Amino acid sequence: MPETKHSDKFIVPIGPQHPALKEPGHFEFTVDGETVTGASVRLGFVHRGIEKATEERTYIQDLYLLERICGICSHVHAMAFALGVEKLAGVTVPERAQAIRVLVAEMERIHSHLLWLGVAAHEAGFDTLFMYAWRDREKVMDLLEQLCGNRVNYSINVLGGVKEDVNDTIREGILNAMDYLETRTDLYLKLVTTERTLIGRTRGIGIMEKQTAARLGTVGPTARASGLERDIRIEAPYAAYMQYPARIVIENTGDLEARFVVRVKELYESFRLIRSILSTLPAGELTTKMPRRIPEGETISRVEAPRGELFYYIKSNGSDKPDRVKVRTPSINNFASVMATAVGHKLADIPMILSGIDPCFSCNDRMVSIRGAEGRQGVDWEGLRRYGIEYYR
Amino acid sequence: MSENMKSILSLLLFPGGLAVMAAGMVYEFIDRKLVARFQNRVGPRWFQPLADFIKLLAKEEVIPEGIHPVLFQWLPVVAMAGALTSALYVPMFGLEPAFHFTGDLVVTIYLLSILTLCTGLAGANVANRFSIIGATRTLTQLFSYEAPFLLALFGPAIAAGSWDIAVIEQYATIHPWLMFLQPVGFLVALIGLMGKLELPPFDAPEAETEIVSGALTEYSGRGYALFRLGRNVELVIGLTLVAAFYMGGVANPFLFIAKTIGLLLVVAALQSLFARLRIDQTVGLWWRSGAVLVLLQLLVLIVLKYFGVAI
Repeated sequence: MPETKHSDKFIVPIGPQHPALKEPGHFEFTVDGETVTGASVRLGFVHRGIEKATEERTYIQDLYLLERICGICSHVHAMAFALGVEKLAGVTVPERAQAIRVLVAEMERIHSHLLWLGVAAHEAGFDTLFMYAWRDREKVMDLLEQLCGNRVNYSINVLGGVKEDVNDTIREGILNAMDYLETRTDLYLKLVTTERTLIGRTRGIGIMEKQTAARLGTVGPTARASGLERDIRIEAPYAAYMQYPARIVIENTGDLEARFVVRVKELYESFRLIRSILSTLPAGELTTKMPRRIPEGETISRVEAPRGELFYYIKSNGSDKPDRVKVRTPSINNFASVMATAVGHKLADIPMILSGIDPCFSCNDRMVSIRGAEGRQGVDWEGLRRYGIEYYR
Repeated sequence: MSENMKSILSLLLFPGGLAVMAAGMVYEFIDRKLVARFQNRVGPRWFQPLADFIKLLAKEEVIPEGIHPVLFQWLPVVAMAGALTSALYVPMFGLEPAFHFTGDLVVTIYLLSILTLCTGLAGANVANRFSIIGATRTLTQLFSYEAPFLLALFGPAIAAGSWDIAVIEQYATIHPWLMFLQPVGFLVALIGLMGKLELPPFDAPEAETEIVSGALTEYSGRGYALFRLGRNVELVIGLTLVAAFYMGGVANPFLFIAKTIGLLLVVAALQSLFARLRIDQTVGLWWRSGAVLVLLQLLVLIVLKYFGVAI
């Protein structure tokens, strides 16, 4: 064991490999007994260089690549990119296609929120709720497979529309599943608001005031649990959210319980949207013709992912490959809130506070170049290559 | 058969030793299967505990640096020995206890605590940060449930007027079930048993999402196998004690199986019903409600006894 500098601090390392983390991230919590006195985070263990890779592929290839940024909310990535590119190309996508996009997005939200409910329950040591939530999640996963052919990377988007149509069998299946899931959600809402041991772990834990939430730039359910009215579906409706407006779900307490409640209540909102889309699905084509070369220009595209605002910046140089694609995923906005709320809590609360923002690590790992006092830090391509060779020698 | 031969047999084979270990594995299987079914999972196959045990025995035991190796290797053995010894004073399988003397109740309870104590020491022995936190939590939990658990088992002892497990069990057999006469004591004893075995929701000492595996994080192979088996043995002994004291005794093997498994069903249900308690919540629960209530009940019992009321 290498001799390290002695200090009075007792640091509990969580990660890069730890049972509480499903993806690698490194957190150091300074503890005094059971109480946390300091917290720091280090990310970047799963940087994959997708943004750079998009510049070497055509727009159509990029769609598949970007869908693989996140294994949970894959559809919103593809949708955000497709919406941006369609805006650049000046193409109007058929209404039916936009409605199906929203339909899949809401089904994805259900699957993501149920997944989160299970993970958060597991962090609280409530494995029964974990198993139940994941069993019900299978319903919506099966539906997505029926509709799109895939359980995870649905791949229903194409530039200019969607690939798959909703037929009567699928419509029936979805409506039945929504009824079933709604009764289950009643149970979960009751559970997270009345089960005493669970409330003991969530009520008053990790409180984030509205001002703090706004200052740290939190997004999605994390922000909405603190009373911040942030929802791209409402602020800047995209795809078919104009025809099928979403209602915002707000809780004001800002603790972990509020984050549970917001996500569970958003499930109801998704059920309502899905039912309303299926009852008034506009007829028409699924795709429209897309040019292969996208006219020069730049645009941004924002969608509401299950975890919050997903932001795409796309710059085109007039060829069939993008000049630059910048992705900002919601988790990166929310990480600061973990560090801000962790201090002063018990060590046992830390995994719950961490999972309270529904973190997705591989989505948000970026290369950052720091401009500090010593000038710009960083390495060039050749230096990086040499470093890699040396590291594994 | 000579007296010595009989003692050796009862120590090594039946009702102590191998028989208790086998029972421990069977009960672990039942517990795991029940919890799995409650949680909508399939659960393990019947031989899974045995397979786990053999696998762990076959694995290399990694001894980490910077520790006391003798302690590291012998603590699990001591823990196991403590659990097995306590089995000799308990009416296992509905038979007479192998040995008994006045005051064996106190001895048995202390023997049962050796496992927890060894777990705590094992965690404090290694330089792993998760182990140290786990050890602190294990010992904190020990101090929180031990006194109420002890007091809860003293209730029937006072009613029977003896500190001898066999005598108390005979008393319980011929009287109405004590769980109705002393409901607080029964509840505290049952939940105390769950705390002792670190079952959910009292599994803060080994909460995997916080501190990996708690005090036993650095253990692998034989040591870990022994700790696990020791805990299974304690599960059987604890269930037997509670059933014998509070559920009208375990007069024959059939009653033993029916009552302990009935109790295990309740324990498994409780395991799957709640979220994990934080260690401060556990301590609060025990000292604010458990200890106070059971003390009150004990006081009532003593007063009634003093005035000669039949209980």
